[in-house]
Amino acid sequence: MECVFGLVGNDFAIVAADSSAVHSILVHKSNEDKIMILDSHKLIAASGESGDRVQFTEYVQKNVALYQFRNGIPLTTAAAANFTRGELATALRKNPYFVNILLAGYDKETGPSLFYIDYIATLHKVDKGAFGYGSYFSLAMMDRHYKSGMTVEEAIDLVDKCIMEIRSRLVVAPPNFVIKIVDKDGAREYAWRESVKDAAVPSA
Amino acid sequence: MSRRYDSRTTIFSPEGRLYQVEYAMEAIGNAGSAIGILSKDGVVLVGEKKVTSKLLQTSTSTEKMYKIDDHVACAVAGIMSDANILINTARVQAQRYTYAYQEPMPVEQLVQSLCDTKQGYTQFGGLRPFGVSFLFAGWDKNYGFQLYMSDPSGNYSGWKAAAIGANNQAAQSMLKQDYKDDITREEAVQLALKVLSKTMDSTSLTSEKLELAEVFLTPSGNVKYQVCSPDSLSKLLVKFGVTQPATEAS
Amino acid sequence: MKLDTSGLESAAPVWGAPSELVDGFSAAPSFDLPNTTDFDGFQKEAIQMVKPAKGTTTLAFIFKEGVMVAADSRASMGGYISSQSVKKIIEINPYMLGTMAGGAADCQFWHRNLGIKCRLHELANKRRISVTGASKLLANILYSYRGMGLSVGTMIAGWDETGPGLYYVDSEGGRLKGMRFSVGSGSPYAYGVLDNGYRYDMSVEEAAELARRAIYHATFRDGASGGVASVYYVGPNGWKKLSGDDVGELHYKYYPVMPSTVEQEMVEVGGA
Repeated sequence: MECVFGLVGNDFAIVAADSSAVHSILVHKSNEDKIMILDSHKLIAASGESGDRVQFTEYVQKNVALYQFRNGIPLTTAAAANFTRGELATALRKNPYFVNILLAGYDKETGPSLFYIDYIATLHKVDKGAFGYGSYFSLAMMDRHYKSGMTVEEAIDLVDKCIMEIRSRLVVAPPNFVIKIVDKDGAREYAWRESVKDAAVPSA
Repeated sequence: MSRRYDSRTTIFSPEGRLYQVEYAMEAIGNAGSAIGILSKDGVVLVGEKKVTSKLLQTSTSTEKMYKIDDHVACAVAGIMSDANILINTARVQAQRYTYAYQEPMPVEQLVQSLCDTKQGYTQFGGLRPFGVSFLFAGWDKNYGFQLYMSDPSGNYSGWKAAAIGANNQAAQSMLKQDYKDDITREEAVQLALKVLSKTMDSTSLTSEKLELAEVFLTPSGNVKYQVCSPDSLSKLLVKFGVTQPATEAS
Repeated sequence: MKLDTSGLESAAPVWGAPSELVDGFSAAPSFDLPNTTDFDGFQKEAIQMVKPAKGTTTLAFIFKEGVMVAADSRASMGGYISSQSVKKIIEINPYMLGTMAGGAADCQFWHRNLGIKCRLHELANKRRISVTGASKLLANILYSYRGMGLSVGTMIAGWDETGPGLYYVDSEGGRLKGMRFSVGSGSPYAYGVLDNGYRYDMSVEEAAELARRAIYHATFRDGASGGVASVYYVGPNGWKKLSGDDVGELHYKYYPVMPSTVEQEMVEVGGA
């Protein structure tokens, strides 16, 4: 089942997510990218109902882009997180989105940051966070091994530890994960951790 | 002939002009003036108070300067009742932004949202434009200190030094002459008072006829909007020699 | 007995003499009210009854030559087989197909609706819509109706300017891009055959055979799937129906009856 987690290191933030698209007992796809690059220096990792996940993250992405077009300046990560929270909060009493979000970003003034936002519109600034069944394992791993100011190598090592723990202890463990990173040079894909190879989607 | 085109704000004249908007600007030309100067460590606003009667009781310390948010203030020239409406919407906008993003609204966005309101009144029928010009002084993390001027048409632009209200052209050209890029806040105050003393009709400047407000950063890095008290304003006027210490004579 | 598969033909049927239709208009139609105390419950039940094609096997996959799309043709209402000749592969336009799983009416209606939108896009932009765009169009519509009872599980397969395209779209608003999908109650069985036999560089013939076999095996194990295994292929020149075989007959092809040798014969036990 779904596993999304992330942490803040020294001058960067990392998020990882499983890449399985599941319907009841069926795995429809095992290379579904659940981490969206929100803008040049922001990542949004989301878990939840597939329709809501895509629709809501796209909605946030388009609004952040609109802000930048209108005002010529980008939103800070904190502002984007508060905006996202606000949208979830207004939707909550109408037609709620079932999405849990980890928002990672890098700002010139404040450096890297990570925000925990769940579907009932809770917002927390955290330096490590997780959602889904995998969170029980990854949170414990991060509680034990996380320290502030980690290097990229240390952080990736910790992410791999989390993935290995999920794969070995979680009954419904997803096979594949995607890892993305954001630092002063921007948000980008870092690596895939695949134990089952899905047929590559042609670059269309 | 022009009668046919100036009765409605929304109709262009054959020459391509919007008379109602121009008339609104004309109205501001008669109002008490205000000057804003941008310096490297703050923004200075000075305004001319029109003393209508000795009997008038002024409840607030300022009648031309308004704080919009912790980091933005404005000076007004024009119809005050119109201005009050706009200031109120500006304050609401600033708070809405903070509600949505949990951070102060960038200054230009605030000015822009206000000018969008102004613009609306030059286009949608049955209404007259706001007879107000503003000087906005503020600070944000993106562009630091900023000074904006807006007019009834909804146009706005950023300035290093600007003047609105009566005699604004004379003030503007004096500012153009005397402004230096690396001016300090204290020098900016001096320059603003000097310009105002020359463009104002009255012969001698007194603290009753003036308002001075500044936006600057405190040593701890917080933005501060500070209005100069009449006493210290009197002292400044003497210090900068824009008025003779007239008090002893009277 | 041969199955009547005329309902699966691609060409639009020619309507018969209109006289019967005209007759129907003379009297104002009237309905009896259902004899029930729980009208809401009755309505809910009734809606489920006119939503056949719940049990289904459909599949589609991209390979070297294009996209292969296949489906069974059974419609069931609970344990009752209401039709053995349902067209579950819907022809959206000459370059795009949709598959039907879930509510038949919902699928047919929204695919037709999508067909209209695709044609309008074509007229407005003087080029065919991409599969990506068409599937997003459908997904957005379904998402806007989410939680309102639509039941759609579909694959949009086609050929556009970028080559073959395949998306899975459902009424929960989900939309997945992929190389290989199967939808419906028989999909786990179909996936088993499909995953095992899939290679990207198959020929059209091999791919068609794989698709047919996958549907056949699904119909064998899944009671709600059956009838005819239809196979469509979408290539650079649009779609083409390759085959439509009664799965009962396919059974004899894939499992011919072998005359087995007699291992032991019953013999009369003498004198017991």
